Amino acid sequence: MEIKSHEAGDIIVMELEGRFDAYSAPKANEWLEEVMTNRKPPNVIVNLENVVFVDSTALATLVQAMKRCRQLDGDLRLSNLKQPVRMIFELTRLDRAFEIFNLEEEAVGAFAA
Amino acid sequence: MSKSKLSPEARMLSTVISGQRSQFRSLADAWMTTGATSLSVWANGSRLAAWPKGTEEITPSMKAPIRLNGGDVGELWVEGIGTPAAEKTLIANAGFISRLARMEKELMGMTERLIDTQDQLLAVYGLTEATRNHLEMDDLLKQLAKTATGLVGCESAFLLLKNPDDSLNIEHYPEVRLDEELIQSCLTKVSGTKSELLLNLSETEYSRAGLRNLLFTPIIIRDEVSAAIGLINKKDQDFGSPDIKLVRVIAEHAGSRMEHLILFQESIEQSKLQVEADLAKKVQLRLLPTTFPQVEGVDLWAGSEPASQVGGDYYAFVSNPGRPFTFCVGDVSGKGMPAALLMAMSRTVMRTKTNVNPTPTPEVILDECNSELYDDFTEVSMFATVFVGQYHHEDRKLMYGNAGHSPVVFCPFDGEPILLEADGTALGVLPTSLAQDQSLTFRKNDVLVVMTDGFSEASNHDDEFFGYDRLLTVIKMLAKKPAKDIFDGLYETIKNFSAGRPQDDDQTMIVIKGT
Repeated sequence: MEIKSHEAGDIIVMELEGRFDAYSAPKANEWLEEVMTNRKPPNVIVNLENVVFVDSTALATLVQAMKRCRQLDGDLRLSNLKQPVRMIFELTRLDRAFEIFNLEEEAVGAFAA
Repeated sequence: MSKSKLSPEARMLSTVISGQRSQFRSLADAWMTTGATSLSVWANGSRLAAWPKGTEEITPSMKAPIRLNGGDVGELWVEGIGTPAAEKTLIANAGFISRLARMEKELMGMTERLIDTQDQLLAVYGLTEATRNHLEMDDLLKQLAKTATGLVGCESAFLLLKNPDDSLNIEHYPEVRLDEELIQSCLTKVSGTKSELLLNLSETEYSRAGLRNLLFTPIIIRDEVSAAIGLINKKDQDFGSPDIKLVRVIAEHAGSRMEHLILFQESIEQSKLQVEADLAKKVQLRLLPTTFPQVEGVDLWAGSEPASQVGGDYYAFVSNPGRPFTFCVGDVSGKGMPAALLMAMSRTVMRTKTNVNPTPTPEVILDECNSELYDDFTEVSMFATVFVGQYHHEDRKLMYGNAGHSPVVFCPFDGEPILLEADGTALGVLPTSLAQDQSLTFRKNDVLVVMTDGFSEASNHDDEFFGYDRLLTVIKMLAKKPAKDIFDGLYETIKNFSAGRPQDDDQTMIVIKGT
């Protein structure tokens, strides 16, 4: 899985690609750990536009990072979920735990608000 | 003159003469027939042999040098004749003896090498015999040091092995003669060169402790200098090239013995881990009910199959007189031992909350479990999806709470199967559980199947999931059968779908049917 990123003001956007599962989760976790250590507060958007699958390890990685970001007065928000991925968030009701946006720009805008 | 006072070359000449005595005698006879009175061989001013027998005083009329490797090693003398033709013959004879001496020297070299090889073979044999029964590294090192001391003929020896944390395991025989600092610095040196180090210690501070010389030889294990052998004070002399060769052989053998022992110890560690994992699996299986409670109004069946040795799935039944029958299925995120430990914790908390609380509705159970486990889940970055169901027979009501769990399928006997979606997030995600009590009427022949995603996400060779649509179709087809047959039918169908692919995730299922 490839990880790209770009900045939008004080916010860092993580772009993932492919399958986000037990094999790729450690890499994503490492990336998130670094962001949470170095950015104060850690405001992160995970753009899942190119992610085709997430498993429970991936969900746990995102949940953990979201909890840490909130502890550090930041947040981790999600955007651009494809239908199958959105369905997993809905089924597990993680859509009630995360702030999820249709578009990355909306997520950026919500941070500014 | 005794042989021992002769130079090595003269000794060799002497050996040549004694080995070819009859030929020398024939040569002397030939000279006698030409008028000579004696023939003799000399080296370092001493007579090695003379013919005819009994010759005492010799006044040579001709001398010819006997050469070996470009230097004179002796002379061939003739008495009583001195013609130019005879001189030529004498020079030719001396040349012939030189060639004999050269061949003898080569033969001696070959013999020496043969003896060396035999010594080395004996050394290896000795080492093998001495070390075959040592299963502890300290013992092996000590035994190797002891055997090397005897084989090389030195006063003491030590063997060292680098531990994984770079500390040194050193065993001395018969006693400690060298401090660790010097040993460490020798090891650093040979780690670079990968060849032995010969130190003369007689002019150093170590000479006060009686140390004269040290031969330090690296031992290569798994392509690295991970060990070494040090030999101290060769008896009566310095370490020479035969010692170095012998120690190289010992080092090579010691390396292979040490590597075997390391492998052996690693395999024991592996076995221990395997035994522990097997034990963990047994313990975990014991946590899952294998006999099911008899509950009025329902027929039930359940089972669980972990994907790895131990899993994060669980199911439990709580059936107390005068209280509704409560069941739950949980799936801790992740796999292996961490998931298994949290699974055991979750199960216990779930059962305790259900048993102790005066009105343990699914919502209350889930909320209290979440409060109890939230910090632990956060600590280890995990969460658990949990479905709690409760059957009230008096009004045939099924209450349930769903904390992020799927798939849960309800199939009414007279309708289409539907998914009972979660309304709360998984336990451990948010500080408070959002799941609320839901209820539905559970009539005779209605079916509830609570599974973990290991079933719905079982994939085939095209990486296609079994998915919810197939799940609903199969449940509809099986719904008329008893709970056990529904369980078995679903299990078989999904197993056939994945057609021999290894199971990626734990698979757990409870089937409840109204009777």
